[in-house]
Amino acid sequence: MSWNKVAVVGAGLIKMGELFDQSYEQMAKGAFDSVVASVDKGFDPALIDAAFVATQRGTLWGQEGIGGNTVPTAIGLSGIACTRIENACPTGSDAFRVGCMAVASGVHDVVLVIGVEKMRDKSSEEGLLARAAAGHPVYTRGESAPVLFAPFATRHMHEFGTTHEMLASVAVKNHHNGKLDPYAHFQNEITIEDVLKSAPVCHPLNLLDCCPQTDGAAAIIITSAERASEFTDKPVFVAGFGVATDTPYLHEKTTYVGLPATTLASERAYKMADVAPDQIDMAEVHDCFTITEILDIEDLGFVEKGKGGIASLEGETALDGRIPINTSGGLLAKGHPIGATGIAQLTECWWQLRGDAAERQVEMRNGFALQHNVGGRGSGVSVVNILTTNA
Amino acid sequence: VCASDEDALTLAWAACDRVLDAAGLSPDDIDGLWWGTSRPPFAEGPSWTHLAAVLRLGHGTDGALVSGSTHAGIEALRAAADAVAAGRVQRALVVTSDSLLPGTGTGLETASGAAAGAVLLTADGPASLGHTVTHSVPVLDRYRGDREETTREAYDGRLFREEVYLPLLTDLGRAAGASDDARWSLPDPDGRLGPTLGRKLAVGTLSSAESRAELGDTGAAAALVGIAAALGTAGPAVVMAYGAGRATAINVDVTGPVPGAERVAADLSQGREASYAEVLRARRQLTAAGESVEMAVPPGSAMFIRGNVETLGLLGARCVECGTVNTPPSIHPTCIHCGHDKFDIVRLARRGTVQTFVINHTMPAPFEAPLPLVVVDLDDGACIQLQGATTGENLAIGGPVELILRRYTVERGVPIYGWKVRELATSEGTAS
Repeated sequence: MSWNKVAVVGAGLIKMGELFDQSYEQMAKGAFDSVVASVDKGFDPALIDAAFVATQRGTLWGQEGIGGNTVPTAIGLSGIACTRIENACPTGSDAFRVGCMAVASGVHDVVLVIGVEKMRDKSSEEGLLARAAAGHPVYTRGESAPVLFAPFATRHMHEFGTTHEMLASVAVKNHHNGKLDPYAHFQNEITIEDVLKSAPVCHPLNLLDCCPQTDGAAAIIITSAERASEFTDKPVFVAGFGVATDTPYLHEKTTYVGLPATTLASERAYKMADVAPDQIDMAEVHDCFTITEILDIEDLGFVEKGKGGIASLEGETALDGRIPINTSGGLLAKGHPIGATGIAQLTECWWQLRGDAAERQVEMRNGFALQHNVGGRGSGVSVVNILTTNA
Repeated sequence: VCASDEDALTLAWAACDRVLDAAGLSPDDIDGLWWGTSRPPFAEGPSWTHLAAVLRLGHGTDGALVSGSTHAGIEALRAAADAVAAGRVQRALVVTSDSLLPGTGTGLETASGAAAGAVLLTADGPASLGHTVTHSVPVLDRYRGDREETTREAYDGRLFREEVYLPLLTDLGRAAGASDDARWSLPDPDGRLGPTLGRKLAVGTLSSAESRAELGDTGAAAALVGIAAALGTAGPAVVMAYGAGRATAINVDVTGPVPGAERVAADLSQGREASYAEVLRARRQLTAAGESVEMAVPPGSAMFIRGNVETLGLLGARCVECGTVNTPPSIHPTCIHCGHDKFDIVRLARRGTVQTFVINHTMPAPFEAPLPLVVVDLDDGACIQLQGATTGENLAIGGPVELILRRYTVERGVPIYGWKVRELATSEGTAS
């Protein structure tokens, strides 16, 4: 594969939460200001020659018409080349991948990738929950978001003896990490008992097994490795990426204890980066539900299939564990503003690689961080990006 | 009452399904379908075609939907019998069903029940229809106008008893000319008129007594449901129906046990008592407050033109190359397993085992929690995801289940039907 090496020279986000006081445009501006301020040697926005906007659903805040032009105007760059990317829950991570390809191909020099999502302007009933009435009028009726993942929990428990305590340990860890992350939606610790006693949402998942609905925005600036030194002396490079798909309906799955799209996407990313799972120092993975993180760490090759639950309970994925997972608090604690999520995860990887993660800092032995999303109908779309400090 | 996701159509399907099972026939053997109901689910719309589709009958199937009053059931029976006698139809399914929506506060609320009864008519069989008499008078009794949703009583109870029901049906019963040992299925709108009429006619055995006691007045279904008990043993019988001033009595000569009749008594005992609030919910007269989320696919969408037959008929596309069943066919132009694009359309098995499941507790109106969603490995190797028909407490991975027809929702006034999953361990329950 012949491509120009890509460097990340800036990354930033806004405090995640229920941002009732901010418009979509104001959140975009906040993320843009954050990413500009993050560039070590200062950054002139006029250098941006293309932008990719990650917004999964304009419909969630009442506007179908989010195109490529909304964000440029909001951030004072009306006129620049800008494209909106949508690819389900990996929308943000795929927009990053597309941005990287624009730089790698040599077509664009300095690219802004910005994810913005308004999740809470509408009530839950009229927002994400309304998806229960979407899709096929019979075969998917009632399929709200937890239904995409809870069947895997039922089956994982059945086949491997995974317990609800093991699932809960994921939420406990991620809330702990989130309390150390000033940008996280939730800033509180929880216990396993809290999870087990929380209200049932979609059996076998309870409320604290589920990520919140969060407004948020995050942005990244990428350029060619050749030009990185104009902006920073501590560049982070894009080592590899992969995207993969799987069948869109739950009844078509070849397995109910794993998400093959994740495995395929990661294999492509590992191959491109020429790296093995055991060389990854930390990972930000898609934990929309506790079971999802357990599936992820198995599908990404960090733990053996079926051992994700016990590995989580025994602390292998904690900040001081063998493979720290979701040091930012993950979707469970930091939040899941869909289009912004992947870019916010990449921001955490960028901080960890540069040693800027403060109390959350983990040891970066090999200089590799992995970012992952999976979602869409049937959880059939996955994107994996791998960043590195190795030149 | 039946469950909130059942109605005259789903009940009719269930009765026909049991008749086909008892007769050992497949849908391909049936060339006529007559359906009598006072409550077709589409007042003006594709009620009959939906029933034919869920029964997987051929598109050239003969028959009719008969409606207008509770007399519709016996009108359907006579029309089907005529078609068979004329040699136009070889095997006719006759189904009668009703699920009344009574006006709140009317006596119909407690007097009415939901049920379906079906029989298979052929040129010869263990029971035959004989001498028939019918009387008609233009009177107003139980009533629902063209713009009314609920049924009401437009008459004085004693006036109806003394001037309409007893004189009309006593004359009719005597004109039927039945032998003294005949078993009778008599219409009984209020629970007292039936036995009174029976005494006037010196009826020895009231075969409809048990179904009336268990279910109440099941309207157009009452006559066939009431005669079922008599069809199990040889001897004479009379089935009588009344509705809106019309009454008909048909002599039935039972020469041997009619297959399936023995099951009816067991089915009648499956019900349980329900509170008034449960009844109101089951009849959808008490619903959750708040705005309902619209279905993303409106009922008028072309998607239903493409998808109705495969969804209602529970069809799959079996790959000619590798045998994998793709479901539903219209969204799978390419095999999910091997990528080839030639298929045979197949009827999916209606039994299977649970691959995995969830129970959804968090949905906006009109969804009602708890709502199980089940991925089922069907016995023919296909896999399908459907809603559960129960609250899901008996669902277990690997557990045996069956697929039954239910109403998924009423969207913008249009009922939407599909198959749901029921645990085989639980009781079969549509009753009382």
